[in-house]
Amino acid sequence: MDNLENSVGNVAASGEYLTFTLGKEEYGIDILKVQEIRGYEAVTRIANAPAFIKGVINLRGVIVPIVDLRIKFNLGDPAYDQFTVVIILNIGKRVVGIVVDGVSDVIQLNSDNLHPAPEFGSVLDTRYLLGLGTVDGRMIIMVDIEQLMTSQEMALVEAAAA
Amino acid sequence: MSIDMSQFYQVFFEETSEHLANMESLLLNLDVDNPSLEDLNAIFRAAHSIKGGSGTFGFTDMTEVTHVLEGLLDRLRKEELALRSEMVDAFLAAGDVLRGQLAHHQGGAAVDGEEIRDICARLTDLASGPAEPAPSQPGPSLPAPPGEVRHLDLACLLPPDVAESDGAVNNILAALEEIAAVTLRHRPDAANGLLEARLVTARSDADLREILAFYLDPKELELVPAGDGAEAAYGLFAETPAPPAAEDPGYGFFTDDPAATDAIAATSSADDPGYGFFADLPEAGGESGEGAATTAAGLDHDELFGLFDDAPGKPEVLPNREVGPGDSPAAVEGQGYGLYVDAPGGLGLFDDAPGLPKLPPASTGPALRPAAAEGQGGTAKTGRRLSDDPHIELSKAGRRDTDKTVVATGSDTSIRVSVEKVDQLINLVGELVITQAMLAQAASDLDPVQAEKLLAGIDLLSRNTRDLQESVMSIRMLPMSMVFSRFPRVVRDLAGKLNKQVDMRTVGENTELDKGLIEKITDPLTHLVRNSLDHGIETPERRVAAGKSPKGSLTLKASHQGGAVVIEVMDDGAGLNRTRILDKAREKGLAVSDNMTDHEVWQLIFAPGFSTAEVVTDVSGRGVGMDVVKRNIEELGGKVELESSPGFGTRTVIRLPLTLAILDGMSVGVGGETFIVPITTVVESLQPSLDSIRTLAGDSRMMHIRGEYLPFISLAEAFGLEGVEDVTRGLVVVVEGEEGKAALFVDELLGQQQVVIKSLEANYRRVPGISGATIMGDGRVAMILDVAAVIRLGLGSGKRRLAA
Repeated sequence: MDNLENSVGNVAASGEYLTFTLGKEEYGIDILKVQEIRGYEAVTRIANAPAFIKGVINLRGVIVPIVDLRIKFNLGDPAYDQFTVVIILNIGKRVVGIVVDGVSDVIQLNSDNLHPAPEFGSVLDTRYLLGLGTVDGRMIIMVDIEQLMTSQEMALVEAAAA
Repeated sequence: MSIDMSQFYQVFFEETSEHLANMESLLLNLDVDNPSLEDLNAIFRAAHSIKGGSGTFGFTDMTEVTHVLEGLLDRLRKEELALRSEMVDAFLAAGDVLRGQLAHHQGGAAVDGEEIRDICARLTDLASGPAEPAPSQPGPSLPAPPGEVRHLDLACLLPPDVAESDGAVNNILAALEEIAAVTLRHRPDAANGLLEARLVTARSDADLREILAFYLDPKELELVPAGDGAEAAYGLFAETPAPPAAEDPGYGFFTDDPAATDAIAATSSADDPGYGFFADLPEAGGESGEGAATTAAGLDHDELFGLFDDAPGKPEVLPNREVGPGDSPAAVEGQGYGLYVDAPGGLGLFDDAPGLPKLPPASTGPALRPAAAEGQGGTAKTGRRLSDDPHIELSKAGRRDTDKTVVATGSDTSIRVSVEKVDQLINLVGELVITQAMLAQAASDLDPVQAEKLLAGIDLLSRNTRDLQESVMSIRMLPMSMVFSRFPRVVRDLAGKLNKQVDMRTVGENTELDKGLIEKITDPLTHLVRNSLDHGIETPERRVAAGKSPKGSLTLKASHQGGAVVIEVMDDGAGLNRTRILDKAREKGLAVSDNMTDHEVWQLIFAPGFSTAEVVTDVSGRGVGMDVVKRNIEELGGKVELESSPGFGTRTVIRLPLTLAILDGMSVGVGGETFIVPITTVVESLQPSLDSIRTLAGDSRMMHIRGEYLPFISLAEAFGLEGVEDVTRGLVVVVEGEEGKAALFVDELLGQQQVVIKSLEANYRRVPGISGATIMGDGRVAMILDVAAVIRLGLGSGKRRLAA
């Protein structure tokens, strides 16, 4: 648990990141938050939920909400086929799935090649960014996934609980 | 020892609460006029175990209270004092204080010091009352204030071998002379072993019996007051204080006593660390065995023999005023864990035995300690098996007495397991059921001839999983006695406060209910019971005037009816007053008419803020009751109904689902999704005709069903799904929620099934109109409707559309 807390706004304890693509952009998240990666399966829709919350699935008896980050960030084409990937995250005591275009790599990154993200008026608030990483000339957007998923705008957690 | 004590705190807390509950129920069942010795002993044991435990864990405040409590109990169980109802009250109050202290140690508020001093003083007062010796032996009991010279007739039949021997008889007589002035009436001889004598002494009966017990068989001993004032001249002996001098220990006449043999057998294996030998001893022999084993540690074998030569068959029935010195180490250190509960009697007896080398307290102490430490070790081992809170008791036989646990190691029939583990098990089994259903579905496409064996296997699998699921579910079930057991106390206290006489009965305590429900049903039930007592049952005078027995009766009954548990609270009181309820309802501005059926009138009671009590008492009548009761029960998926007839009483019936984890539901399809409607809310389902749907104010739709206009709510609309638009192609499910009936429009009915309720909030958040989710046979998630919320939602969306 300490790892989780320390990693907020900081480099992940492991220094290992899972990278995935959303449209043409590459994102990285702390690998310790990842529970598993699975294919997309039919979800059960939730009434009156925002569009990026696709619904819930049954993950071995646990009801897990699925968020489509492509819709949330307006990136990529939200199509669902056999190549659509869901990353199941373990955040705090919650389990959440995110839909991405594809999972690419696991990378090692230390604070040296992590640069602070410039302030843009983008959909992705810099509050949820750890910084920008560079690996083999590619720019990877390092996301503080825990902050992001528990944020108000994701509407995943009860307002009172947040 | 102090290092890892804290890890056993939880065990101590639980065991102590159990002991307290046990003590309370025993106290409540105690017949004050004729208390059973067994019950008194059990209460004493519970108090002693608490004292031992609290001492070990350093909760000295509890030790102090239990010490005083135990003092009084000890006198009671030795029958030195007669039980009075003030004592029972004091015991109950002491139990409450202890419970408060226990809560304090668990992080609750501290108990008022005043209260503790109060109860201690009360107990001490009661304990120091005049002794009323009432030995449990045949023969009249005598109130004998000590210090007053009395004349007693002694009669005792000596065993032939003793009576034959002149020496032995002389010894007995000499011993008698020591304690009283003796006029011999019949000297025992070979032909007639009867010893008859007139005694003049200042000693109390209990004292005499105690002393004589070493010479004479207490069962044969008869001690009755002599005729008036005869031989008063012997008064000069009254002061004779000398204790019995050391005598020849070889009285010999008890050598063939079976208890002694038992005790010796036990002693021979006393260095066996397993304590297992206690388990084999019969109850009666066990006590002397325990005493023997403990004492034996400090004595060599010869002395021991002498000791047990004197051991009468049942040391525990001997009145023993003093607490023997041997008792203190175990009790003070509190490590005995109830193992030595009965040791005080035994040890005290042996220590006083004349003709024995006196056992100095110092030597008893060390001798006891190793044993006590081992006792503690035994308990610690038990403790380690237990896991963290919260616990549920796995078996009805789970009430354990600490002392019995130690004594009967190996015959424990229940284990404590954390609820988390059980829930995990239930989840896994749920998964298994779903997997099995999926398998069965996949296999249904196979050719039954080719895949015969596979299909047979799947059949077997489904049977086994069903059985497994049932038995796993039963783990969470607890008997209703868990709830009912608290009511005798509530009723007793309240009846006392209200000056009413109430006879409480419980029926069907063994009916099992899910643990979650058990916890949540307690408050509503308590409220109903209080209501019955306060408003239902009349005062004895009024009851007599109404031609009823002055004692009211209150019955709590639990039973299974179909898939539900029915709990009834019945009283034979005045019943509900129809006119008064109607008047009150009018006063409150509720829509009522005199033509309402009784059933409808009774339902008014559940309206918020409704109370017909003329006087608001501190028991009930503030009118914040029945609506809360109803809401609580409905939250549990249950229903509450009232039946009443004036002058004969009231009956409240609560219907609850068997478990919170499983729900009987009707599955409906809307826009490709499946929803579960709890079956308890479904009134009927029907195919609507176009002309039964009317619009209200142009937009809100109403459905006309058999004279009633119900709001027509399309689930697809309420949840933003694309369902069937054409009213005639869908179906309507009429549901009834808190706020009345409504017609839910759905695409299709899929069936009726039991579903396992899963939390949506665990990983997501609350969704309006949805109470939870479940997993269907095909592995997909289906939402469970919160009918009341859906009605609100549906009505709201109508209004929104209107505004738009």
